[in-house]
Amino acid sequence: AVVKYLLCVVRLQHAGRYNDDFDDGEDIAEFDDNDFAEFEDVSEDPAVDVEKEPPPRAAPSSTPIEDEEDEATVENEDGQDEFEDADAQDQDMYSKYDNEEFEGHEKTNPSFKDTLIYREVPAHLQNSWESYYMEILMVTGLLAYIMNYIIGKNKNSRLAQAWFNSHRELLESNFALVGDDGTSKEATSTGKLNQENEHIYNLWCSGRVCCEGMLIQLKFLKRQDLLNVLARMMRPVCDQVQVKVTLNDEDMDTFVFAVGSRKAMARLQKEMQDLSEFCGDKPKSGAKYGIPESLSILSEMGEVTDGVMDSKMVHYLTSHADKIESIHFSDQFSGPKVMQEEGQPLKLPETKKTLLFTFNVPGMGNTSPKDMDSLLPLMNMVIYSIDKLKKLRLNREGKQKADRNRARVEENFLKQTHAQRQEAAQTRREEKKRAEKERIMNEEDPDRQRRLEEAAQRREQKKLEKKQMKMKQIKVKAM
Amino acid sequence: MDLSAKIIYKPPNTETNPTLEDPTPDYMNLLGMIFSMCGLMLKLKWCAWIAVYCSFISFANSRSSEDTKQMMSSFMLSISAVVMSYLQNPQPMSPPW
Repeated sequence: AVVKYLLCVVRLQHAGRYNDDFDDGEDIAEFDDNDFAEFEDVSEDPAVDVEKEPPPRAAPSSTPIEDEEDEATVENEDGQDEFEDADAQDQDMYSKYDNEEFEGHEKTNPSFKDTLIYREVPAHLQNSWESYYMEILMVTGLLAYIMNYIIGKNKNSRLAQAWFNSHRELLESNFALVGDDGTSKEATSTGKLNQENEHIYNLWCSGRVCCEGMLIQLKFLKRQDLLNVLARMMRPVCDQVQVKVTLNDEDMDTFVFAVGSRKAMARLQKEMQDLSEFCGDKPKSGAKYGIPESLSILSEMGEVTDGVMDSKMVHYLTSHADKIESIHFSDQFSGPKVMQEEGQPLKLPETKKTLLFTFNVPGMGNTSPKDMDSLLPLMNMVIYSIDKLKKLRLNREGKQKADRNRARVEENFLKQTHAQRQEAAQTRREEKKRAEKERIMNEEDPDRQRRLEEAAQRREQKKLEKKQMKMKQIKVKAM
Repeated sequence: MDLSAKIIYKPPNTETNPTLEDPTPDYMNLLGMIFSMCGLMLKLKWCAWIAVYCSFISFANSRSSEDTKQMMSSFMLSISAVVMSYLQNPQPMSPPW
């Protein structure tokens, strides 16, 4: 019976697949053995059912194809589909058959077609790179950063070289030493720019009268950093060339002066130690002295402005006003104000006679190497200023005023730090006493010890007497 | 043009005020290390990727006098954080939206 059952199943499957042969199949059934005759009626129902099965099975199988956007997985789903189809088909037929064959058998729920669950394959097991799109984005970002680094670095390097090529002749004719990176103990002229960073280049020139030396810093934009490039798209900034000339004491008279763009002047007056102390007035407009309105002047006294603003200087400033950020001459230059945590510093900061020039490179970031030639006249102005200041001397009145200013500043400073200096003096005195006592204690010879002790006692007595005298004097004066 | 003046060699750059120097490379280095540690300990892929970016930015902004060993170590740490996160969990990163 089992064999007949199996054979029948095979026939039914065969019948279900080839609908063309369906009629033939029926005919064959009629002419078959009596063994199979009993299955004749039964064969129709499952056959009909089988016919019905493929179309509804086809319907759900098509929808998953539509649902799945991922083309690569359609094949898998289809394969699974077919598999599940065949399985379900068999099971269905078997259950139907069981119902007919066996009595008392519970009818199993044949709703397989409703509860087909299509499991999603985990993304990392799928053979597709598309699911890793975030990683690809990240790597692309990194590659973009590296590309920008290389391009930016090269651009900065080309700009620096272009600047140096156009200025080399002028510098070499004026200075004996051009380019020294400070690595060797003696002064050696390397004749090259010193690269501090991917965006900062230094050049030290020395060996000229009227000045100690000149440090030129090419402060380019950070073209090598992509973040900086993006930030600059929001807020455009310029490349800058900063020239700092340090002078010997005899090369400059005592005054403080600055000229530059209005914004720069306002900022410098707040930031710079010497400008805030000596140039208290608000920046004056440059129009009074024949230079463009966009420039303003900070000066210690009017005489200084008159002295600096001669016709040639005015000519320089007028023709290159757009490139000048700030020009700062000072004999009390000590850099920007230093914020100290423990209150005021005990000593006045060290000052040096300095000329500080800051120039903007034209192009507002989009500079080309050709723009560097336009900075050459500004370097001429620097050299001219150095020579001029050597000759510029204040008259007697001006000098007196300048000296008074400096004395005033020093006095203010001393007043502010009075309390602290007192404390420091006190501690120093105590230290001295302690050191002396120790010396006496350490002395081996008892005689010498006694003598030293007596000497210390005598000194203390003298001090007390002096103090008493002073007090008496003050009292007398008060009276 | 009178070259009778004395020649002085350039004073070392250490004279420049350290507070004026750009703190970006140091901050980025520190951030990079923090993100790598987070990525390694908490198995967060995006932390590790950000660490790689931080170490690149720190390298781009670094001064030439700075130690290359420091740069290399931070770079290697961030790369190892990325590799470890993917070995532990090969699933692709999911966007936060």
